[in-house]
Amino acid sequence: MYQLLLTKRYLTSKIMPLLAALAVALCTAMVIVVWSVMGGFLVMLINSGRTLSGDVSISWPITGFAHYEELIKRLEANPEIAAAAPVIETYGLIGLPDGRTETVSIKGIDGPSFSRVTGFEDTLYWRPINTPTEKDTTRADLRLGKHDLWKQLFEGGKRLVRTEVSKSDRKPIDRPAVVPGISVSGFNFREPWGFYPGLPFIRTTEGAKKPVDMFMLPVDGTVTLNVLPMDSKGRAIEMVARTFPVANEFHSGLYEIDHKTVFVQLGALQDMLKMNRAETIDRSGPTVVISDDPSKEEFVTPVVVSEAPARVTNVLVRSKRESYDTADADRLAVVVADIYREFAEAHAGKVPEPSSIRILTWVDQNRTMITAVKKETALVLFIFCFVSLTAVFLVLAIFWAMVSEKTRDIGVLRAVGASRSGVAGLWLLYGLAIGLVGSGIGFTLAYLVVTNINGIHEWLGQKLNLYIWDPRVYYFTRIPSQLDPTHVVIVLCGGLLASCLGALWPAARAARMNPVQALRFE
Amino acid sequence: MTAVASSKSSIRTGARSTEAILHATNLRKTYQLGRTKVPVLRGVELSICGGESVAILGASGSGKSTLLHLLGGLDTVDRASGSEPASSIMFRGQDLTRVSVRKLDDYRRRRVGFVFQFYHLLPELTVLQNVTIAAMTAMGTFEYWRKRGQIRSDARELLDRIGLSHRIAHRPAELSGGERQRVAIARALINKPDLLLADEPTGNLDRVTGGSILDLFTRLHKEGQSMVIVTHDETTAARSDRVVRLVDGRVQGG
Ligand SMILES: Nc1ncnc2c1ncn2[C@@H]1O[C@H](COP(=O)(O)OP(=O)(O)O)[C@@H](O)[C@H]1O
Ligand SMILES: [Mg+2]
Repeated sequence: MYQLLLTKRYLTSKIMPLLAALAVALCTAMVIVVWSVMGGFLVMLINSGRTLSGDVSISWPITGFAHYEELIKRLEANPEIAAAAPVIETYGLIGLPDGRTETVSIKGIDGPSFSRVTGFEDTLYWRPINTPTEKDTTRADLRLGKHDLWKQLFEGGKRLVRTEVSKSDRKPIDRPAVVPGISVSGFNFREPWGFYPGLPFIRTTEGAKKPVDMFMLPVDGTVTLNVLPMDSKGRAIEMVARTFPVANEFHSGLYEIDHKTVFVQLGALQDMLKMNRAETIDRSGPTVVISDDPSKEEFVTPVVVSEAPARVTNVLVRSKRESYDTADADRLAVVVADIYREFAEAHAGKVPEPSSIRILTWVDQNRTMITAVKKETALVLFIFCFVSLTAVFLVLAIFWAMVSEKTRDIGVLRAVGASRSGVAGLWLLYGLAIGLVGSGIGFTLAYLVVTNINGIHEWLGQKLNLYIWDPRVYYFTRIPSQLDPTHVVIVLCGGLLASCLGALWPAARAARMNPVQALRFE
Repeated sequence: MTAVASSKSSIRTGARSTEAILHATNLRKTYQLGRTKVPVLRGVELSICGGESVAILGASGSGKSTLLHLLGGLDTVDRASGSEPASSIMFRGQDLTRVSVRKLDDYRRRRVGFVFQFYHLLPELTVLQNVTIAAMTAMGTFEYWRKRGQIRSDARELLDRIGLSHRIAHRPAELSGGERQRVAIARALINKPDLLLADEPTGNLDRVTGGSILDLFTRLHKEGQSMVIVTHDETTAARSDRVVRLVDGRVQGG
């Protein structure tokens, strides 16, 4: 009991131990902030990686596989599967309006079905919005006005078409279009307040800047896609180039994706890659019958001898269950593999073998990134925890000094009946109290920093021109942050433990003290 | 009337004692100073009877404090060596030199109260807390919680008797020397000890203040408190029932 009383008194009357508490606070706050940012980063990475990848992907790269419509039917019949969508993934070159050419990952998708499997629709950037983004205090975001235009672009984006009015009969026609990532074109410069304004000029091939009224890729721009079709044996045929209007642009938040991915209508890409349905005709007979009697002349309808069905490289599958659990993803992969086996049996020899087809979960697909971030998190945490050991030594040093200062009090306590363990308990309790105060302050500090981290970063950028979080390096345009209660509890317990640990040795010293010498101590 | 009569020391009869509450035989204490051994107590014999007030008189450095610490269970006697008979401090049938550490802690908590020359109050605590803390060490958190009202009112009453009721919420630093010593006395008394041990309680006070402290001791003695007061001042010693002189590490009955 006397320990409680003295701890309370010491806490309120001494400055030194409060410095120790402050050190504990700074250390816990530091570790919590780091863990939160890195943890939030990982979650955001996973989410964004998943936004455009579905839960499980069946893939046969480059050459692709046929009868995918039937596979999709089989998949969608399963009660665990919400939807499935065909995708072609390939690489190619994109020619931009300013003459620049970039290598990109090209994905052929069917807008509506792809949206059922992924969050594609939500990533479309040009759309009407009513509330400005968080930091857009001046309502300068283009998307806040001209709703008709943005609505049209949004609709076009969903289906990957640009609706144009035909010059001949003035009827609107839908042209197959592309949806590049927001950072592909290089025309969109992100404002610090988190949105993309239009461009007042455009760079020409010569590098000069040509002023324009307002250039917007989805409104006026076309891009050229160059892809390399392969035959079914994997031999390259010849580069195919085609110019597409731009329907919209997408913004996943993952710079790596936004910078390097272009979506294009599935049919158009199949066409370019020669992966569309094709018929082989019998060329042995005549194609035209020529007769003396012109009325008897006719074209011979070619005889179709075989038919090559359309192919895609991937089928993406989405689970009915919203889950971030790796085990759930693995379970779904097994279900998908079973369905594929049945499908392959039904098309024996015509589709890739079940043993060689690649079935990957979203975790597998993002593994390199996820493990990299996890490792980085572990490393950084380790370093910071190590640094936080200074708090232990600070508590130790301060307590050591305090035990010396309080030597006589310890003698007095022993004289009035305190036991050795009681005296040790006093210092441990005191250490615990320092830990509690420190952890409490640390948590508050961490909470304030984490919840305001983007504001703090912005402020640092404005005042000191210090942009620590470069979206080009860190994938995201916002600093992700969230306080994980488990992490917080672990760190706070660590803070308490560190303080007690620091108090341990001084406490033992206080306990070992000879009371008589303690009383004689001047 | 003396219950204990040792062969070596001549003990003067206590005024109202009937029975020894504490009986020390052959107390030896040697300090090690580097390589040399400094024997401070070389076989002290002493008995304290119930209700008795004993003054221990001796020159500075004669080992008075050492003796008091031994009697109070704060320090340990020399380990017995072959030739000499072992030291013992008998208190209620138990030899304090042989009981467990816990028993000794308990002895200090409940059986004795210490008063020091330099008061030794805890500077962070108020006067009241300085008194109650001695009661706290004698009980667990829960027990204290249950009895805290009683303990506080006991402490208040004690401080009132000692003439400090108006200082209850003050810190030791705000008190005069005499007042501090009164607080220390209240602290020593809160657990109603069988024996009060005072080590030069007036040594740090001026004559008048010291006198009033001695008056207080006399009053307590009259109320039946057994006590041992260490002093090097003859007049102080004269107020006691019995004076014991410490010379050359041994007791010379006065
Ligand atoms: N811890 C110690 N180590 C060595 N010598 C000590 C120690 N404590 C006391 N002494 C010596 O023992 C002798 C008796 O001291 P003390 O009991 O304080 O005497 P008194 O109280 O009569 O003045 C002194 O000479 C002192 O120097
Ligand atoms: Mg002394």
